[in-house]
Amino acid sequence: MTKNYLKEIARSKKPFIIYKSEKGFNLYTNFSKKIILTNKNIQNFINNVSKNKLKKKNTDLFIGFFGYEILNNLIGVKLKKQKDINFPKGIFYKPEKIIELPNKLIYIPEKSIKFSKNFKINLNQISYSNIFNKFKKKIKSGETYQIKICTKYKNASKIDALDFFCRLTKSNIAPEAFMIKDKNYSIISCSPENLITKKGDLITTKPIAGTLKKSKKLNKIKALEFFKRNIKETKEHNMIVDMERSDLSRICRAGSVKILKKKTVEEYKDLYHYVSLIGGKLKRKVSSLDILKAMMPGGSVIGCPKISTLNLLNAQEKEGRNIYTGSFGYINFNGDMRFNIIIRSILNYQNYSEISVASGVVIDSNAKHEFNENYIKAKALMDLYR
Amino acid sequence: MIYIIDHKDSFTHNVVHQFENFDNVCCDNFNEINESKLDKANVIIFSPGPGSPKDYPYSSKIYKKFKGKKKIIGICLGFQQILYCEKGKIVQQNKIYHGYQSKVKVVSTSKLFKKNQKFTVGRYHSLKLQEPFAAKNFEITMRCDISNIAMAIENNKEKIYGFQFHPESFLTENGNLLIKKILSA
Repeated sequence: MTKNYLKEIARSKKPFIIYKSEKGFNLYTNFSKKIILTNKNIQNFINNVSKNKLKKKNTDLFIGFFGYEILNNLIGVKLKKQKDINFPKGIFYKPEKIIELPNKLIYIPEKSIKFSKNFKINLNQISYSNIFNKFKKKIKSGETYQIKICTKYKNASKIDALDFFCRLTKSNIAPEAFMIKDKNYSIISCSPENLITKKGDLITTKPIAGTLKKSKKLNKIKALEFFKRNIKETKEHNMIVDMERSDLSRICRAGSVKILKKKTVEEYKDLYHYVSLIGGKLKRKVSSLDILKAMMPGGSVIGCPKISTLNLLNAQEKEGRNIYTGSFGYINFNGDMRFNIIIRSILNYQNYSEISVASGVVIDSNAKHEFNENYIKAKALMDLYR
Repeated sequence: MIYIIDHKDSFTHNVVHQFENFDNVCCDNFNEINESKLDKANVIIFSPGPGSPKDYPYSSKIYKKFKGKKKIIGICLGFQQILYCEKGKIVQQNKIYHGYQSKVKVVSTSKLFKKNQKFTVGRYHSLKLQEPFAAKNFEITMRCDISNIAMAIENNKEKIYGFQFHPESFLTENGNLLIKKILSA
């Protein structure tokens, strides 16, 4: 049934979205509304979605994404003019049909598309090191404590997004994986990071800070020992935990913000991650907009403190991040929501693919190591182009 | 009521959350101060934040205006802000502490804490107080157990207190106790 359905939806050319669920995946389609977000309509959009306070049908929701720029603007951070591909700042869809899919997605493309395997990087190691050293000075003067430099890998080719997504999830089932296929663009992501899970008055966030490349000698227990012994990874993680506690404290009742899982290890295809889970109980009069403004853009992919670090980043980065470090997810009509952080993703637009990755600069990081960490993160996605 | 001046930090709301355990709290950005609330408050808190005290002249002005009239507490940058207003020199340190857990020790000058008592605390600071430092009624009351850097100040006469570390961090053990002591002082 799944097999046929994926074939059918691919053949129909209808736009659709797939998002990881607890049991497998959910496929959203038959969109009755499509809202392209701008700085003008975003606040109204967010406020109106959950105005009814009722969720009668399982399709009573809007699903889509916020790009990085619009999330900056939402909290009053302005970006100067960057090199831009004119990709929308955010798009949300109202589905009329949801189909449950199992974890194993099977889809065989009807015709194979040849694509280029060559990726161009927008920052070579020398320019990366220059930016890196600039930011280290800013850390010494206290303007930032941790900052993430973004690098982009680009490639000109048409892709079959569904085929990519199915192959990606075969080797790597990430808890926040999703794909969007619309007429003029597609997004494929194996994001591991949940930014907001809100049910009733409970909210949690699950930041990742700390990455370790897999090897034959390692297992989960050894990876945990590595993270615990490694002072640099520990400090980086501590900072993110305190920052997320603070973001939650903006919207949660006094004394309710708690670290629910402190410093655990999660295993993925090529790497291990150092993860914590933090939660709280929402204050009574908090709106959906308040929640998004407190939590977005997700701190673990920006650095700390958020505002001053965003300003430093935006002054430095010459190319728009587009979807990268934005957020994908849904808001139900009753105000419940789930959003991830868009990382480990491919944006395919106008027959160009871009894969963005970032890793953190703290006082004792090493430019070469971080540059290579970026490559490891991008590799799992670049491997799909063959 | 406690009025917290936020230097746009990503830890400030941990401070808010912590102080809410003890009293009503109002928190505004340093560049959007609500003067009438500030006037009504009985405690003013200078939050942590990026940069150095010289970047926040308006916070210095507020400090000077209310010194001796209201209880004042500074955390991290806020701690440095108080010292800077008292003619202390705030300088870069060689070793930088961000997300660092370390031990601080109470020194003999403290009236609130027991001498030689040790606390495990979370630290996020690039800058430090350059010593020697002397200001009327001010005492350095805690120091880093290893580097000896100034970690807390007390001015029990004018009710001014500060911590270089973060009592609100999850890395600090007994953070609430520290806050309770200075609030009831």
